Amino acid sequence: MRILLSWLQEFVDIPEYPDGLAHELTMAGMAVDAVIEEQGETILEFDITSNRPDAMNHLGMAREIASIFQRPLRLPKTDVLEAEPAASSKASIEIADPDLCPRYSGRVVLGVEVKPSPDWIRRRLELCGVRSINNIADLTNYVLLEVGHPTHAFDLDLLDESKIIVRRAKAGEVLRTLDGVDRTLSSDHLVIADAMRAVALAGVMGGLECEISDSTQNVLIESAWFDPGSIRRTSRYFGMHTEASHRFERGADREATVFAADRIAGMLSQVSAGTVLRGCLDAHPQPHTPRNVLLRSGAIERLLGLAVPAEEVERILRALGFGIAPNTGGWEVKVPSYRLDVNREVDVIEEVARVYGYDQFAPKLPALGVPAEPAPLSEEETRLRNIARALGYNETIAYSFISTEEAEEFGAWPAVRLRNPVSELWDVMRNTAVPPMLKALEWNLNRNESSVRLVEIGRLYRSEDSGFQEPPVLTLGATGLARPRTFSEPGKPYDFYEFKADLAQFLTAFEIHQLSFEARELPPYYAAGRAARVVADGSVVAYLGELDPKLAASRKLRQPVFIAEVQLDRLYKLGFRRPQHRALSRVPAVSRDFSLLVPEGVAFEEVRAAVGRHPELTALEPVEIFSGAQVPEGRYSLLLRATWQRSAESFTDDEVNRHAEQIIQDLRKKLGVELRS
Amino acid sequence: MAIDEKTAAKLTDLLAAGESVETLYQELRSSFEAEKAAVSNQEQFKHLRDRWLGRKNGLLASTNDNWLKAAPRELKRDVGRLQNETKARLEASLAELKEKIDSSIDAGEKLDVTLPGPAREIGARHPVRMVLEEMLYIFRGLGYSVAEGPEIESFYYNFEALGFPKDHPAVDEMDTIFVTDQMLLRTHTSPIQVRIMESRKPPLRYAVAGKVYRHDAPDSTHSPMFHQLEIFAVGENVTFRDLKGTLDHFLKKFFGPDIKTRFRPSFFPFTEPSAEVDITCIFCAGRGCRICKQTGFIEVLGCGMIDPEVFRHVGYDPDRYSGFAAGIGLDRFALLKYDIDDIQILFQGDVRFLRQFR
Repeated sequence: MRILLSWLQEFVDIPEYPDGLAHELTMAGMAVDAVIEEQGETILEFDITSNRPDAMNHLGMAREIASIFQRPLRLPKTDVLEAEPAASSKASIEIADPDLCPRYSGRVVLGVEVKPSPDWIRRRLELCGVRSINNIADLTNYVLLEVGHPTHAFDLDLLDESKIIVRRAKAGEVLRTLDGVDRTLSSDHLVIADAMRAVALAGVMGGLECEISDSTQNVLIESAWFDPGSIRRTSRYFGMHTEASHRFERGADREATVFAADRIAGMLSQVSAGTVLRGCLDAHPQPHTPRNVLLRSGAIERLLGLAVPAEEVERILRALGFGIAPNTGGWEVKVPSYRLDVNREVDVIEEVARVYGYDQFAPKLPALGVPAEPAPLSEEETRLRNIARALGYNETIAYSFISTEEAEEFGAWPAVRLRNPVSELWDVMRNTAVPPMLKALEWNLNRNESSVRLVEIGRLYRSEDSGFQEPPVLTLGATGLARPRTFSEPGKPYDFYEFKADLAQFLTAFEIHQLSFEARELPPYYAAGRAARVVADGSVVAYLGELDPKLAASRKLRQPVFIAEVQLDRLYKLGFRRPQHRALSRVPAVSRDFSLLVPEGVAFEEVRAAVGRHPELTALEPVEIFSGAQVPEGRYSLLLRATWQRSAESFTDDEVNRHAEQIIQDLRKKLGVELRS
Repeated sequence: MAIDEKTAAKLTDLLAAGESVETLYQELRSSFEAEKAAVSNQEQFKHLRDRWLGRKNGLLASTNDNWLKAAPRELKRDVGRLQNETKARLEASLAELKEKIDSSIDAGEKLDVTLPGPAREIGARHPVRMVLEEMLYIFRGLGYSVAEGPEIESFYYNFEALGFPKDHPAVDEMDTIFVTDQMLLRTHTSPIQVRIMESRKPPLRYAVAGKVYRHDAPDSTHSPMFHQLEIFAVGENVTFRDLKGTLDHFLKKFFGPDIKTRFRPSFFPFTEPSAEVDITCIFCAGRGCRICKQTGFIEVLGCGMIDPEVFRHVGYDPDRYSGFAAGIGLDRFALLKYDIDDIQILFQGDVRFLRQFR
């Protein structure tokens, strides 16, 4: 909002340089965004917080300056040269809905000459960013900028029966507002009506029919107070944001209606040669009682940590327009009618603090309180992040929004829909982290980054009967080289096994007794045969594998892309592995290699299962796998290495032979595996 | 007769065949020298050493057995001397040879140490994450517990319990994204204050971070999703000065001891009094530049004393307890700290960007 320095000077003396003034105001909560020089005027551009509509005008800002700099405030003149007859003989006001309009004041001015405003008024309006219309309309705007109260001027002769009725609109009633739009109203909306029809949308915009025109001779000035909530609902409903609604919805001054009407009337008689009729009409069915707040003497120190001297408290509050009287144990503070934001002791304390100066309150550190606790899962997440870093995965953060189409293609449950999404492509909360990961991989490939590893630890969102759930998920994306090319080696591209090895590193962090990788019941976006689900202690904790090549091609991904989705909530249930030391063996391990012919279709997992667990069998590894030439049809060759070790005693040849024989027997019986001759 | 055969023969037989003791030992030494000349690596060296000086089967062990022990009494003295001399000489010679071979190994395999190895690069932390971890580190040092809260939040926790008046422009200013009438994407992390206070009694200090959402079209300074860290403390005798001291400490730890902080009155529905906190511009040290719009200050966060209305909602007695709260924009801090000029780059997953934070 723009405030002219020269206009302020009418209400308070300002000897300061504009920059110094701007600084002091900013430090008292009236944030000056910029100091502008325009047409020889100094203009302060303010960003006023929504709780301070009283400061959104020149008089209000002058009051702030008066209190900060300890200077007297001069109010604008409201002398009105009145003439007979009484205004009440020419117009009447009736408030039908006092809950939404507790006060409606008005002035009647006859014989006006509608013409352009004098230059000085036009200039001030324009410097404040308001377009000049005619001398009558301009004055309502002028007074709005000056004292902050929104008013409206009607062509009195166009008001049926010269009557103002403030009432809820009738359902379906239509009003053409000043902007030329027909508004269909309902009983939610408050209107100003004459005896016949609505003539203005109360507190938001006037109607076109009773607008001041060149032929207007007699004027009714409206100066009312409307319920902020009602104005806000109406202006939001119609999407109309006006200077008037801006102030009414934040709260105008109920005691300023006559003051503003008089100010306009007084000026009007000067700039348009009109005759102001005697008396200000003032319908005020529910007079306003000022609020009193008790400010206890110790309360300021208790909240702010410093006692502000009593005389300073009194001076500041008086300068801001508060009434203040000593009371047992403190002060009785009377809140001025324009301060709708002050209702409680703490609000009064803030007023004292901001004018006294936040700088006056020296910083100190509070004494230590209670022992701190870590976040429920922060240790776990840190562990996963460390693994990801060690494996070379760069952490990314993706938007929580995806599109309905993506949610349907990749998600496992119906996505949470947003009522007013930022974009159509972001209309649901993600039920899968795959689409954002694919987008990130795509983004990098399109920028010639052909080897990419990304990890995202975030949440998914789902709606359940019990409420909304936000399960944590870890997503990996990898493409390009798993091991880099060097001057001597060609590099190793990602394949399923490289990627699986990465994922396995994450799984080692958890306490898992039964872990298996199964190539079944996979989401359709994985490449069949090159993807798996991970089952840990009976629950599916992850999917991983290559992205379906058809899907990859449709997304213009020109190289294999690998994705893993890890459901952290399920892994967290299993708990983290807590390392426990076991004494190192003093004797060497012994190994035995088996050259086997395994029937095709038998998975390594089955070989492992057939061999079974044995406490002294410390490793069972596939050393070499091949099929073809010398291998009989329907079988593949597996070189299997078994390693045994125990803590104290070496194995004898006999023992190893017995173990080896057992393995061969088991594999033969359970899987039809033969020993290669 | 080769040297191996001679050493295997009894001295008496050799003498009978016309050999002399002197010549025999001379021959022994020259054979050793000849073999030694052909040795160029460790393996050959070991072989030579074992062949000649091996304790059981070495050639000198043989001459000890076959020549010295079998020597006629009158020759015993001479043979003994020659045997000892020869052994000493061979040992010295081998020691010299070993030194030569050892040093020649070092000279052998020379690498171009400037060539790169096949490093698998470690991954990068996300700058928002780095900023958060640094902040949590600072606040843990001040005794703050860490917690989390839901992102899909109720109107009650996001607005009502925080004292936002219904039908007040302050609600509009939050640019809320709604899920239903009563559920929305939290517009700030402040609802967690209420959630934690509802279930705990003072004194308490908490730091809570997470994603928050606003209905903003994405551009270089706006994002519909961003991150906040909420810190708050409640207890007896917690004052505005404690708030100032805490944030002043935090900002100096984070941006460096040379910055100055400035607290300006502001308005938030859930704090009273409220303040915006500025720091002296970290790009121009407060002299005035393009980034601070020549003011010398940049606004970094909002804070205030927790409004008694919030305490009323959680059943705390506002005459007994007071507290403060601050909301810190992690993305904004990351942009400032790392001199990033586009917030969107934080959410693109561009590895060229991310790698810089390894």
